[in-house]
Amino acid sequence: MNEVTVFIMGKGYRVPEGLTIMKAMEYAGYRLGRGCGCRGGYCGACATVYRLRGDYRLYADLACQTPVQDGMYIAQLPFTPAERPPYQLADLQPRGETLLALFPELARCVACNTCTKACPQKLEVMDAVQAALRGDIPQVAEFTFDCVSCGLCTMRCPAEISHHHVWQLARRLNGAYLTPRALHVQKRVQEIAAGVFKSDLDALLSLGRDALVAAYKAREIES
Amino acid sequence: MATYPKEIQESIERVEATRPARMATKPPRLTLQEQEALLKGFHPDYRPEGKRKLKVGASWGEPVPHELADLLEAYPLLDPRAVDVSQPDHDVDVLVIGGGGAGTVAAIWAHQSGIPAERILIATKLRHGDSNSIMAQGGIQAADKANDSPAIHYLDVLGGGHFTNDPKLVRALVEDAPSVIRWHEDLGVMYDKEPDGTMITIHGGGTSRKRMHSAKDYTGLEIMRVLRDEARSRGIPVLEFSPAVELLTDGQGQVVGAVLWNLETSEYTVVRAKAVVLATGGWGRLHIQGFPTTNHYGATADGLVLVYRAGAKLRDLDAVQYHPTGAAYPEQLVGLLITEKVRGMDALPLNRLGEVFVHPLEPRDVESAAFIRECASPEKGGRGLGVPTPTGMVGVWLDTPMVDMIHGKGTFQRALSSIHRMYVRFDIDPTREPILVYPTLHYQNGGVVIDEHGWTGIPGLFAAGEVEGGVHGKNRLMGNSLLDYNVFGRRAGIAAAGHAKKATLGAPTLAHVRRYVEQLQSAGVPADRKAPLLLPEYRGEKALSRMVDLL
Amino acid sequence: MKKLAYFPGCAMKDQARPDEAGTLHALAALGYEVAEIPRWNCCGTVYSLAQDDLMRHVGPVRNLIRVQGMGEKRVLTLCAMCYGTLKRSSQFVREEERLARINAFLDTEEDFRGGIEVVHLLPLLRDEVGYEKLASQVKRSLNGLKVATYYGCVLLRPREFAVDDPDRPEVMERVVEALGGEPVPFPERMECCGAYLTVGRSDIVTERVGRILRSARGGGADLVVTTCPLCQFNLAERRPAAAPTLPVLYLGQVLGWAFGADEPANLFPLGVRDE
Repeated sequence: MNEVTVFIMGKGYRVPEGLTIMKAMEYAGYRLGRGCGCRGGYCGACATVYRLRGDYRLYADLACQTPVQDGMYIAQLPFTPAERPPYQLADLQPRGETLLALFPELARCVACNTCTKACPQKLEVMDAVQAALRGDIPQVAEFTFDCVSCGLCTMRCPAEISHHHVWQLARRLNGAYLTPRALHVQKRVQEIAAGVFKSDLDALLSLGRDALVAAYKAREIES
Repeated sequence: MATYPKEIQESIERVEATRPARMATKPPRLTLQEQEALLKGFHPDYRPEGKRKLKVGASWGEPVPHELADLLEAYPLLDPRAVDVSQPDHDVDVLVIGGGGAGTVAAIWAHQSGIPAERILIATKLRHGDSNSIMAQGGIQAADKANDSPAIHYLDVLGGGHFTNDPKLVRALVEDAPSVIRWHEDLGVMYDKEPDGTMITIHGGGTSRKRMHSAKDYTGLEIMRVLRDEARSRGIPVLEFSPAVELLTDGQGQVVGAVLWNLETSEYTVVRAKAVVLATGGWGRLHIQGFPTTNHYGATADGLVLVYRAGAKLRDLDAVQYHPTGAAYPEQLVGLLITEKVRGMDALPLNRLGEVFVHPLEPRDVESAAFIRECASPEKGGRGLGVPTPTGMVGVWLDTPMVDMIHGKGTFQRALSSIHRMYVRFDIDPTREPILVYPTLHYQNGGVVIDEHGWTGIPGLFAAGEVEGGVHGKNRLMGNSLLDYNVFGRRAGIAAAGHAKKATLGAPTLAHVRRYVEQLQSAGVPADRKAPLLLPEYRGEKALSRMVDLL
Repeated sequence: MKKLAYFPGCAMKDQARPDEAGTLHALAALGYEVAEIPRWNCCGTVYSLAQDDLMRHVGPVRNLIRVQGMGEKRVLTLCAMCYGTLKRSSQFVREEERLARINAFLDTEEDFRGGIEVVHLLPLLRDEVGYEKLASQVKRSLNGLKVATYYGCVLLRPREFAVDDPDRPEVMERVVEALGGEPVPFPERMECCGAYLTVGRSDIVTERVGRILRSARGGGADLVVTTCPLCQFNLAERRPAAAPTLPVLYLGQVLGWAFGADEPANLFPLGVRDE
């Protein structure tokens, strides 16, 4: 089995080639508490920064989804301090001013693009900030939908913007105010409350197993 | 990073060769008898060597997987003599154990029922939101279209569960479902919709109507993060990295709180609570029968251990849900969830020869058994038509390029963007090449017995989400787990709040644990077995063999 | 059709949308194919004029790289602030060492080679379109409407970037005349409205706005026009109680109206800020 050297917080360990950074840390004896969540790329717990031998660039990715490379220097981000301002969705208007009022530091963006380079999901983070500055909330929601709130952009931003908090609010504003409601859902809720389906369900609950099986087999499957 | 090795390339060529003829066809669905035979022959649940009957507790004699029995029949991790539970550090009305979907919904509805935020506490083992809830991909079921009804949904759930579900729980599930979707809209969840607001809904395995609502393939993430944000808006306190390691009971058999343990400082915290909602999720990290899992790091069945000691009854724990399509290649992705939505969007499962061998949307247990049979060697009664990978892992194909071919270029990247991203990271483009899948340990179908209010039967103790049982019977349908945690999280939160307003508590003790220990000793359980597990052990063997605790 | 790269800036996509709509309508009629530059970012306004921090110029330069990437050599701006910022920044980074450092930092972009001209609408209308052609293409005359053309500061200061003679500008008045309006003289036409002080010291802004509006009314104006969204905001929203109730519109709105645009309709809105 081929091995490579990985430097975990500066200490070198020999680990099997092909392991993810997360599994390499565990192989080396680290028991993860912080820095480990879903292990599948959805929760942002394992945000990691690293450099490669001979390369000045600082890379960032999720430890659970990134294979190790020989000479990789890694450090994990156990937590990103980023205060979320208090707000109640029902009190807010879905406008750019709302975002700027709650996150005035957005206006400090210098368009340096560092956030975009730090994003493990390869989102266009800077473009999302610019959309926020323009008050284009649907655009912000679209650009940031795949965000896992890992906090890497927030830690790297020279303007000290807490991106993932802005995105969360923008997406909720988009979903609650800027997208039409599903009228059929509302209608069904009212029908259920009015007892439209009560007798059907009562009947089903009174059926014995054989009758239920028969009813199940007789279902029409929507094509 | 290499893509598929040469041996696998040949099979891919077969897939491409059979594709034109396959494009518009789907095989027939199996009859109930055929399903039964398949399950009996190949589903891991039917291997008697995989489980044993419990020797202690309220579900004495019930079969459960060994990996869980080893935890239920185990001594407390926390020595009762080492802690003083008489002086609570926190005194609340509602303690929610578990910070995933069910726990967060319960806390929000306890608040909505009039419990002040500062009288609620969410205690969670990792961070708020770290859960299986956040990983769900494909969707949530609700019968809100004109051609559908809660009654039809009811039948689907019951049939999928092999008619073993608790009817009252299923009724609650399907009746509350449209209200859950409506509530989510109010909170700002971005469901996939038509321009006029109509929900875009598709089939899931075992559904007779297209009633899966999704948010691309990040449905779980989208719902969980909105719920978490709402809990934050309401100021509901959360204690992170603080798993519960024991429940507290008073002299009247009532649950009156819990002992939490700080994962980072090793400090224990005593919480006195008028009502406790258990929302600790699933058991994937027990790797039942050696399967890889889709579950998050903390899914170690802690809640079942705690609640069993307090006298709760459990059900259907011999029903382990394996998701048919866990990633099987590359090695770094093994076990991770490939949502059923991929099959819902018409990608067919195929064997090594590129042939269709089962309908893509049978209920999960049937589908899993079919994949296992296809890959199992003829000596074991299988068809031996799986695709072997260099690591020894075997799988079947999911013909993902069909999605764009049928639904238009760009569909896969848009609607299944998390899976697209997952594979592109490893240099595989699922829109151009099929992917390999194999069943993976996914869901705890059964759990703590509850009534339709989420009450466990033990005074002061409620449960919601994956940890409870009876809703899905022996097999859960896709889209009903997100629904489960919203419906029963809400009911448990409301019931817990109602109970808290009337409850009078006796002094907190660990008496129930002492009594349980006596049962264990009588049953001859080995003294070195301890539970709850809290975190799985993944450290390298070499490192472990040289480990010594000095500080 | 003449192609023209266009940098909108944040305001043109938000509160100043009617300015953009009217201007683009008119420019189309005048034979311009206006192409919004892709993936533009905020110009940064005043912050981007910092002389001691090269980082501040990343925003403006990135926009100029976009223009370069389109194969264009000049870019149109409507907002006076964006004009001033992009123009002054592009001048500032012409110096070789600064340019090299910015290009080294922007490692994911093509190098900025300089040579992009930043143009404001007013000199475009004067020098390239010409007042005669402008007048000949008008569909709806302003019919002698008395208009106070408010320049504010950034169009005329610093001198080397002014769109017209900074002591005696007349370009906006000539444009209004071409549209059939009657520009009125008023001494406060080049006085600063207070700009950013509107955030921290709005009392100063209010005082200045009062003077500007009284001067405009004193000249007999029915309407004030400006090309700066910040000026428009101050003149419309920061009036002292006793100020004359003059409507304040963007030049682009009036231009578009004169060229027959449906939007922005209504030349006499009360409560000036158009949503």
